[in-house]
Amino acid sequence: MLLLALRTFRDRWPVFVGAIVTVCLGVALVQSSLLTLVSAATAKVPPGLSAAEARATGDGYAAAITLLGMTLGLAFFVAIFVVSSTFAFTVAQRRRDLALLRMTGAGRGQVRTLLVGEALLLGIIGSALGIALGLPVMRLQGTMLTTFELAPPGFTGEWRSWIVYVSAGTGIGVAVLGVLTASRRASRVRPLEALRDLGGAARVMTASRWVIGLIFLAGSIALLILVPAVGGEAALPLSINATFTLVTAFALFAPLVVPVVAAPFGALFRGRLGVLAHANLRNGVRRSASTAAPIMVLVAFVVGMAGMTGTMSEAGRLETVRDLRADLVLDTPGSALDRVVGAPGVTAVSEEAPVSFDIAETGDPDGLEWESTSGIAVDPAAYAVTHRVAPTAGDVADLRGATIALTPSAASGFRVGDLVPVRLAGGPASLRVVALLPDTLVGPAALLPADLMPDGPRRYVVRTSDPAAAGAALAGVGQVSTTAQFIAEANSEQQKISTNIMVALLGMAMVYTVIAMINAVVIAASDRRAEFAAARVTGLTRGQVVAAALAESLAVVAIGVLLGAVSAIGTIFGMASAVRDMVGVGVVTVPWSMIGAVVVLATVVVGLTSVLTSLSATRTPAIRLVAARD
Amino acid sequence: MTASDPVAARADDVWKVYGSGEAEVIALRGVSVTFQRGVFTAIMGPSGSGKSTLMHCLAGLDSVTRGEVRIGETTVTGLGDAGLTRLRRDKVGFIFQQFNLLPTLSAKENILLPLAIAGRKPDDAWFDTVIRTVGLQDRLEHRPAQLSGGQQQRVACARALVARPEVIFADEPTGNLDSRSGADVLGFLRDSVRQHGQTIVMVTHDPVAASYADRVIFLADGAVVDELHDPSPDMVLDRMKKLDAPAEVER
Ligand SMILES: Nc1ncnc2c1ncn2[C@@H]1O[C@H](COP(=O)(O)OP(=O)(O)OP(=O)(O)O)[C@@H](O)[C@H]1O
Ligand SMILES: [Mg+2]
Repeated sequence: MLLLALRTFRDRWPVFVGAIVTVCLGVALVQSSLLTLVSAATAKVPPGLSAAEARATGDGYAAAITLLGMTLGLAFFVAIFVVSSTFAFTVAQRRRDLALLRMTGAGRGQVRTLLVGEALLLGIIGSALGIALGLPVMRLQGTMLTTFELAPPGFTGEWRSWIVYVSAGTGIGVAVLGVLTASRRASRVRPLEALRDLGGAARVMTASRWVIGLIFLAGSIALLILVPAVGGEAALPLSINATFTLVTAFALFAPLVVPVVAAPFGALFRGRLGVLAHANLRNGVRRSASTAAPIMVLVAFVVGMAGMTGTMSEAGRLETVRDLRADLVLDTPGSALDRVVGAPGVTAVSEEAPVSFDIAETGDPDGLEWESTSGIAVDPAAYAVTHRVAPTAGDVADLRGATIALTPSAASGFRVGDLVPVRLAGGPASLRVVALLPDTLVGPAALLPADLMPDGPRRYVVRTSDPAAAGAALAGVGQVSTTAQFIAEANSEQQKISTNIMVALLGMAMVYTVIAMINAVVIAASDRRAEFAAARVTGLTRGQVVAAALAESLAVVAIGVLLGAVSAIGTIFGMASAVRDMVGVGVVTVPWSMIGAVVVLATVVVGLTSVLTSLSATRTPAIRLVAARD
Repeated sequence: MTASDPVAARADDVWKVYGSGEAEVIALRGVSVTFQRGVFTAIMGPSGSGKSTLMHCLAGLDSVTRGEVRIGETTVTGLGDAGLTRLRRDKVGFIFQQFNLLPTLSAKENILLPLAIAGRKPDDAWFDTVIRTVGLQDRLEHRPAQLSGGQQQRVACARALVARPEVIFADEPTGNLDSRSGADVLGFLRDSVRQHGQTIVMVTHDPVAASYADRVIFLADGAVVDELHDPSPDMVLDRMKKLDAPAEVER
């Protein structure tokens, strides 16, 4: 049996190299994300920084940890998804060989042992390569984080020796798990299938596949319902989780969709080629579903993330438009209230100073959990004139002395009149809650009274009867912009941050899915020499065979895009309803340009790979292959 | 198995129905047939008459709808997967029209595969005898793709013979071969019966191939309709014509 495994290796190397590549990249990705996360979590704020710098660095690490947590989850998911679908496919592809083994007397246990043994070997090789590859990947990830200012400067991931065990465990575990269900199915292969095709492909949708698919679908729906309920900062991670489960559910249901998509394709490409491509799609349901899987993941995450962050930043923009009642916004490095008040036509000025402080999540004095928060210190009367203020409880006008007005994203569980423990440089140890504010996407998370205004940068929100003259007069004081300019700038800044976060979060995983796509096409084609040869012997030219394969692979892209887009749209709507619940702004952004880009990418990658592999598979004169069948 | 038991395989009133309702096909209708130990039997009949189906049922590759199949002392009907696996491993060998070799293994490895799977040691002397009989001495390290059709079929024969099964089932083993290679294969199938007491059941369309057998059974429409002993090609051809004629009239 061992010999058989080795010999199978020798002969089906494209399949196995493909499997090793997926394990290797998956391990590298998981390892790099985990090491980077651990490094961020254990990073010490360097000594010798000012209090404000130290706080900023600490906040930077906290943000990086959140981001890396999501990256790690994503890496895990994509690795498991890609590896298990690749392995399941490699097993399905060898059905005939396995049937023949059964015919010559191999028991179910022996078939299973063979496959699991193979997976073990592939897992070990893949993990070893992945552990090595993980190092440069980690360096790349660190560079990406600091360049995008998602982690404090100087941050790098650090190597830990225990990671070897984690990575090896991940790689081998994922490979074996991936092959386990497939091997169970394979061991059920009937010996007679070595002689005739018993229509095994038609029964891809097994009962267990249905059940698991439905469970995942139900779970996704539950998560999407939950997203608005939890709201706030938990919404994004939860939506990503919903994407995981949705993608899994749709991957399981993919075989149902294959014929649905195949039908219009058959009609589209009329004639012999259309018939051939259509028949191939229907008969190769498993192959089509496996090739579509990575495309699906790519589309679901890229489109989903772009849609979610797009929805958030658009909602944030609308929130500002709704809440800001001013003509000019002026940013200065220090206090300049007198000069602002003296500018032409000014009728109201709100002076606002950013304040970073820690707030205790629980009121319990023993187990205080400090949470870093950023608020602004304001004069409540002026603030109420230049902003829409709609507290859900209390009155912002009471902001005087040691008081605070809270949004749920700063701290929840407090009521008006409660004392909130805080750590505020040069301020009191606790503040009394005077108002509760509605949730916000753009901030501030808390309002503090003017008494707690620190020295330092100021923002002046100005109402004036003569914006042009006032703007000109204030140009020398600081950075002045009209409200419209201010909103546009804030929005484009937000979008830049969103894009950076998306690239940092998804970049590597998506490169992985693109490689997995190529992989799937190569593996699928490696099995089809004989089939292509038969098509050519029956009178198709080489060009026609390649064209039919291309048409087939385009249909597969369509399947992947369709299912991925459906998952993405599910999560985008979940996010949109969370946003509506939070800030009362109803908006859904469908990232058409991103959809277009992903479709083009997937089409080009899969189409090109398909043409190249089918060209290479038809290089040998057909007749030699037909003659050498078996 | 006891040496005194002269029956290697038997079918008792075997029915095989594929599908149901509109798509129902009755492939076998009450076939009863006995295969004596050490006898080379050919099964003939028009296309679609149920030859392959009968063979698959006899070998336990497919279940019967009604009736009973026995190989040696084992009742095949009703065996679970483990029992069927043991049956295939220890009691039966197969040769098919499509040579059904594992493309990744060399000729020698293919031949020894059933023994390797069963965890049995090959009997070197017997292995040499088989290899010499099938004339594969200098082709053992080649892989199926590097062998001619006739050579591949000889590898398949050697694979079946080397394990010395109770019965070898062969479905049109010469169907893909020219007459020369076909004659070779048939020659040593007959020799293995004559010299080593092997039991062989072979499905064929070719009267010449059938004439190598000790006995020919004729199947039509899923039932045994005729039988010949020590046939010559002419006798077989004659019977086949008779079988085909009524069918032609019906159409
Ligand atoms: N899996 C199946 N499902 C439905 N019908 C089947 C199946 N296998 C065989 N049949 C039908 O059973 C009948 C007997 O088939 P079988 O393969 O035994 O014929 P045969 O005698 O071997 O023919 P040939 O000489 O052409 O090989 C045929 O009508 C065939 O269509
Ligand atoms: Mg047949």
